[in-house]
Amino acid sequence: MELAEPFAMSQPAISKHLKVLENAGLISRTRDAQRRPCKLEAAPLAEATGWLIEYRKFWEKQFSQLDDLLDELKKLEAMAGNNN
Amino acid sequence: MAFGGPLTVTTPTDTQIVITRQFDAPRHLVFACYTQPALIRRWLNGAEGWVMTVCEFEPKVGGKYRYEWRAPDGYVMGMGGVIREFEPVERVVSAELFDEDWTGGETVSTLIFDEENGRTTLVNTFVYSSKAARDGALATPMAEGMEYGYSKLDAVLVELAA
Repeated sequence: MELAEPFAMSQPAISKHLKVLENAGLISRTRDAQRRPCKLEAAPLAEATGWLIEYRKFWEKQFSQLDDLLDELKKLEAMAGNNN
Repeated sequence: MAFGGPLTVTTPTDTQIVITRQFDAPRHLVFACYTQPALIRRWLNGAEGWVMTVCEFEPKVGGKYRYEWRAPDGYVMGMGGVIREFEPVERVVSAELFDEDWTGGETVSTLIFDEENGRTTLVNTFVYSSKAARDGALATPMAEGMEYGYSKLDAVLVELAA
């Protein structure tokens, strides 16, 4: 209920969004009488972002090497062209 | 040393990864670097400290390819697949699988090479069998292997460019 207050959304709509986050492991929920407190699971969130960063770094390294190789091939082609 | 365009990595759907990169070279050269084993092993050599030990690529429809890398600790990572579509110098579609199958099934990779004013835009779309498979790919040991020392990367690049 408290989580829904700042949003122009119905309580069922908010519950649906929270369910999606819970299924994704990004929040956890407990029961406390009529309340259902939510806890943000910071570790999976950070991990999800971290993966993408590492993945990107991996390709950045591969592509910077490909840049160097392409540079070399362009020079070879230019030299071959000059000999024609 | 040449500088390409910025790299973008996006996940437009739950099962996709899309990599886009520009290269300051015509596409027949970029295409060659992706489809000739002698050229592939010059750049796709893995994370820092890793060595590409196997690089085979049959550039034709139905052709097979196979890559293996060895980590500094001796761990060997292998992957391979079959070429489904092969259209020089525009497009390659392949189905790939890692030996340890952490992506939970086959992944379809599509490479599109577009050239404008002597520069090439490469778009590589990976479609995984599920969201879990896609997330598994983002967390492969090779990506984690990047921890093997980014500090050394600049030195290596200077050496390669010399």
